[in-house]
Order: sequence, then structure tokens, then C-alpha cells
Amino acid sequence: MSVAMLLAVIGVLALTGFVLSRQRALASAGGNSRALHSLPNYYGWNGAIWVLVPALAGLSLWLIVQPMVVESRISADLPAALVADDSARALTMADVRRVAGGLDQAVAQGAMSEAKAREMSTGAVDVRAVLANVGVALGSNVSPEVLSAAQDYRAMTAWGAAARTILILVLAVAGLFWGVSRAQQDYRARIAVERVVLGILALASSIAVFTTFGIIWSMASETYDFFTKYPIQDFFFSLTWSPNFRGNSDLGMIPLLWGTLYISAVSLLVAVPIGLFTAIYLAEYASKPVRNWVKPLIEIIAGIPTVVFGIFALVTVGPALRDWFAEPLGLGNSGSSVMTAGIVIGILNVPFISSLSDDIINAVPQSLRDGSYGLGATKSETVRQVILPAALRGIVGAVLMAASRAIGETMIVVMGAGAAAQLSLNPFDALTTMTVKIVGQLTGDTDFASPETLVAFALGMTLFVITLGLNVFALYIVWKYKEQYE
Amino acid sequence: MKDMRMESRVDSTVNKIEARKVQVYYGATHAIKDVDVDIADRAVTAFIGPSGCGKSTFLRCLNRMNDTIAICRVEGQILLEGEDIYDRRVDPVQLRAKVGMVFQKPNPFPKSIYDNVAYGPRIHGLTRNKAELDQIVEDCLRKAALWNEVKDRLSAPGTGLSGGQQQRLCIARAIATQPEVLLMDEPCSALDPIATAQVEELIDELRHQFSVVIVTHSMQQAARVSQHTAFFHLGHLVEFGETGQIFTNPKDPRTESYITGRIG
Repeated sequence: MSVAMLLAVIGVLALTGFVLSRQRALASAGGNSRALHSLPNYYGWNGAIWVLVPALAGLSLWLIVQPMVVESRISADLPAALVADDSARALTMADVRRVAGGLDQAVAQGAMSEAKAREMSTGAVDVRAVLANVGVALGSNVSPEVLSAAQDYRAMTAWGAAARTILILVLAVAGLFWGVSRAQQDYRARIAVERVVLGILALASSIAVFTTFGIIWSMASETYDFFTKYPIQDFFFSLTWSPNFRGNSDLGMIPLLWGTLYISAVSLLVAVPIGLFTAIYLAEYASKPVRNWVKPLIEIIAGIPTVVFGIFALVTVGPALRDWFAEPLGLGNSGSSVMTAGIVIGILNVPFISSLSDDIINAVPQSLRDGSYGLGATKSETVRQVILPAALRGIVGAVLMAASRAIGETMIVVMGAGAAAQLSLNPFDALTTMTVKIVGQLTGDTDFASPETLVAFALGMTLFVITLGLNVFALYIVWKYKEQYE
Repeated sequence: MKDMRMESRVDSTVNKIEARKVQVYYGATHAIKDVDVDIADRAVTAFIGPSGCGKSTFLRCLNRMNDTIAICRVEGQILLEGEDIYDRRVDPVQLRAKVGMVFQKPNPFPKSIYDNVAYGPRIHGLTRNKAELDQIVEDCLRKAALWNEVKDRLSAPGTGLSGGQQQRLCIARAIATQPEVLLMDEPCSALDPIATAQVEELIDELRHQFSVVIVTHSMQQAARVSQHTAFFHLGHLVEFGETGQIFTNPKDPRTESYITGRIG
């Protein structure tokens, strides 16, 4: 039975559990729902939950564990030469899976009988030709070891599927009986359902946490790989970035880090004052009609894809800065520059800062404004001395969000600041950032064993650490200026 | 009416504020109708009346706090020492420094206790140096009967104090700008009986220096702290007179019904 079919059966059983439990609970109270501990539907939900939770938990566990068990047993049976190291093992297992999948395909299309797929050997049949006929192209002829492993793989998978079906059905039916048997007048179904709701909510929030750990783990292992192939001090302290896929690369991250920080700083210098002043104007000074018009208009900026901003940087801001500032001031003649990317990223971030800060300023209690006005303070004195300190926490959060976006921005940097990794103080020079180089190193022909590719992971890890540091710093600021009002 | 204010507790019969034919509109709603009131200097005037009768609205006219509400419109004349406070030349910000206000809910700023009290003197430039400011902060906290409780933690946040202490801090903050009139909008409604007693004692102290106007829901409180009482009902000033007379010998039947608990 396929997984989809199994899910459908579980669904039907759950529905049955719902209906039966509800009826049974009502019957136990003599049809008087007020004599029940909980509303009748809670008994129904409880019955359905007893079917769903064990069966679905068992199914997902099985789906995760079965391939792991099958792979480890198949690879244990393969000759040592084919599974000498991790990459060889991965290659061989990919072949095995592909052949097994091809055999499935062939049987499904009637190109060979099930018995033949199970029994045949490479001596008697040209497996590659047979599979090519059913649309599965193989890169090389199938070796006898791989074919027999693929046959074993199919057998074990088929056995696993059968065992899975039986186990899950048993679990679902047992759950059904157990759930229905609990549906008695005094059973506290409402509380049981409440616990399950708690479980679902906790599970949902833990998924985000586990994903983060997963990302860190995958980056950490590749980063470690990189540092076994490239000296760590050269990565962190070398002042040159010149990757060379033939070898002898200089992979110092300092120029990239410099570009990232320089462009982010320029963008924050643009975004923070404009965003904050906009928020103060909208929250404290603007009349209601103005606010109702201006706020959505500003937020439209947030909906524009960054690549469109990139075009703006490339064809408008870049040339304008070059013609009006860089060339008259004698600071170079590059259309791509730190200023171009920084200003455009800053504009991109204005609505984030203004919108978040506006909400935060509005959340400051009116009583604080009244208190300040009542003492004879003007509007701007009230904003500076009472509202901004009270809203500081949230504003720091908004600025941090903008900083993270600026650090992570890629498209605008490529189109506005170029891809030249260099150390330059001149704001009208082309510069580039870590994210751009991560993309650069991972696109095109990549060999995941060379330091030139793996450096992307080290850069990603460094970025992660930088943003983490920013977050910690923001938490510290918030903690230091912690203000509480009711 | 003036001859009614003969009680010995009244220190002065000079009028600080004179309001004539005051009308207040919130949009289309006519909230205050034809109110005439005289607030005496160095005395406590209480505004009583059922909820929604307009007593807080009228109080907020006296320092133009209603200006911060866009749909609110005030007509008539309110004279502070003979000058119309709604005159075009009067700066509401300056006015509010002279007519201080304490609100219903304690609203200390998210700053230290010291900075809360120093807020007004700083924005109005009342001091020349730190020592003078320190002195003002100490004096005001002493007047607000809070000094002994907070003198060792002036740099602690004002929001960390208890409700009663917060309200006394707000009073200290209001008197630090050296106002001439102090408006109090139900200053004890968020406080327990002990804190209420402390604040009432404080109000009695303050009337030697300021003209105090207090809005209250508690008739006992009005009777305890005030020398003059104004009874508001449905936007009208029903009766205004010396407190003893209002509570013992009201002239208007509506006043009598309210203070005896038949309406309200």
C-alpha cells in the first residue's frame, strides 16, 4: 500500500474515531450533553487524535528510519573496493538506487516481469539497454555487484513497505479502539485535547529551532573541511582575495569583510535617520488622512524585488553619483561604487525601519505624552526625551533588522558596487561583499573538494557569526536600557 | 456666591482662574455647556459629578490639554490672573508650565526618579547648575512626602516604584516646574486607601503654595480635601459653592440627589 493510500486510510479511521467517540460519549450520558464533562465534539476530537497521533508518528519515524537501515545493510554487503571511502560509497549507492528505480520503472511499464527483475543477472541481459528503453539513462554499464545490490535494495524496500503498512494499520486500529473506549461520561476529553494542542504548538516552534541547528551543522562541517585544505590564518588575515580554480588561490576574507561592513554602514547611515524621522513624523505629527496615505505608499517600497532596486542602482544612481560627485571631486570614474550600493540598500531599508518604529512609537502609552505635555514640554522635546527612550528597545530591534538585511543583501551589491574585491577607503570605488562572493564561488562548475568552492561555507559561517554577534550586542543594549511601563 | 466662602480654612478669596460661558465640543457632541467657575488662589477646589459629566474635560481646558485632541473645540473665556488663556498670543506650552497637571493613572517617564523630577526644570531652564537642580529635586520630593523613601535610590527607574509612590513622584514632577495652579484628575483612583491618605495629606500641604483643582469620584475625598466644590451633571455646572455648604445644605435638588446617592 502506498503512503498516500495509507494516509487516506488513517484519515478515514480518524473520522470513524471522531464519530464513534462522540456517539459513545453522548450515549454514556443518556443523550444529555450537559451531563458530559466536556462538549461532545471534544470526545470526538479525542477519538480522532488517538488514531492520528500514533499512526502518523509511527509512519514518519518509519519513513525516516527505513532508508537508513536499507542503505547501511546494502552497503555492508557491497565489496570493499566499491565503498572504500565516503565519496565512493555515496557514488556506488547512488548507482544502486538509480538501477533499482530503473527496475521499478521497467516493471511498471511492462518491459520486464517482476520475476525477471528479481532474478536476472548481468551475464544474461544488457541491463543498461533495457533501462534506457524505459527512459532511465545510466552513465556506464551495470556491474554484477551493483545489479545484485539493486535487487536486494528492491526486495528490502518492498518488504519494508509491507511491514510498514501492517504496523501502521495495527497502530491506527488500536488507537481507534483505545480512543473510543475512553469516551465515557466522566472522561476529561477537553483537557486531553488541550494537551495535544500544546504539543502541536510546541512542535511547530521547535522545528524552526532545529532548522537553525541543522543549518549551523551543515555549514560547520563544510567549513571544517575548508580549513583542513586551506590555512585558517590566511583566510582570516590575508589581505588579498584572488581565487583561482587551477590552484594557488589567495582566499583572504578581509577585503570582503571590509566591503560588507563599508556598504552596510553607508546603508544604515541612509536608512536610520530617514526611517526614524519618517516614523516620528507619521506617528506624532502627521494628521490622520496624511498618515493613511503616506504609510502604505512607503510600504510599497518594501514590496519591490531587490533586483529592481539593482537596476535602479545600475542605470540611475551609479551614473548620477559618478557624474556629479566622483568625477568632479576627482575620486575616480567608476559607476559601481560603495555609495551607489549603500544608498540604494539604505532606501530599501527605509520602510522597514519606519514601519516598525512607527508601530513601536504608537505603542508608547498616551499617558506618557500627556505627562510630558502637561509639564509644558513641546512636541519635539516629548519625542526626544520621553517617547524615543521609551521606544528604544523596539527601535534597536528595527535597526538591527535593517543591518542584517544590509549585510545579507546580494543583488543590489552585484549591480551597484560590482564584484571587485579590494581594500579601499574611497566611497566611490567599486567594492564587493561576502554574499556576492559566496554566490560567485558556488555557481558554475563546482568541485566540492576544492578550497575555492568550500571557502563559500567559511564565508557563510563568518557572516552567521557576525550577525549573531550583532544580535547579542542588540540584546545587550536592550538589557542595559531596559525600561518598563505597564 | 462669594459671600458663601467664609470658612476659616480658606486662606484667600482672590480668584486665580475665572471661567465664563465655557463651551466644549467633541466633534458634534456638546460636552460642556455654559460653565462659569471661579477658582480661588491658595485653596483646593473639587469637581464632583457622575462619570461622563464633563468634569475631567473642563479640567483639561484649564491648561489647554484639550488642544492635543484634534476634534475638540473650546469656546468662552478662561482667565488666568485676568489673562485669557485661549488668546492667540498665549503659548500653550508656556501655559502648561504655569498650570501643572497630575493624571488619573501614575505615569512616570521611563527614566530615573531624579530625571523624572528634573524633567520640567530642565526643559524650562529653571536652574543654572547641577547643585540648584539637585536642590529642586530634593525639595519637590520632600514636598511630595517621597524623599525619605527614595533618597538612596534616586538613579533607580521611576517605573519601579509602587503605585502610590509613583503617583507622589508624578506630583513631585508637576510641582518641580513651579506652577501656580495644580490640576489633579482623579489622582487617587488607582491607589489603595493608605496611599490615598498620603496623597490627600499632601494636597492639603500643597494648597498653601498653589491653587489646586481636583477631580474626584469620591465625595468623601472632596469633603476631606477641598474648600470649594463644583458639582457637574450632564455637561452643566449644577452647583458651585463652599464645600461645607454643598455637602450639608445643597440648593439644587440634583446636587442633593447625587451626594445622598440617589443618582450617579
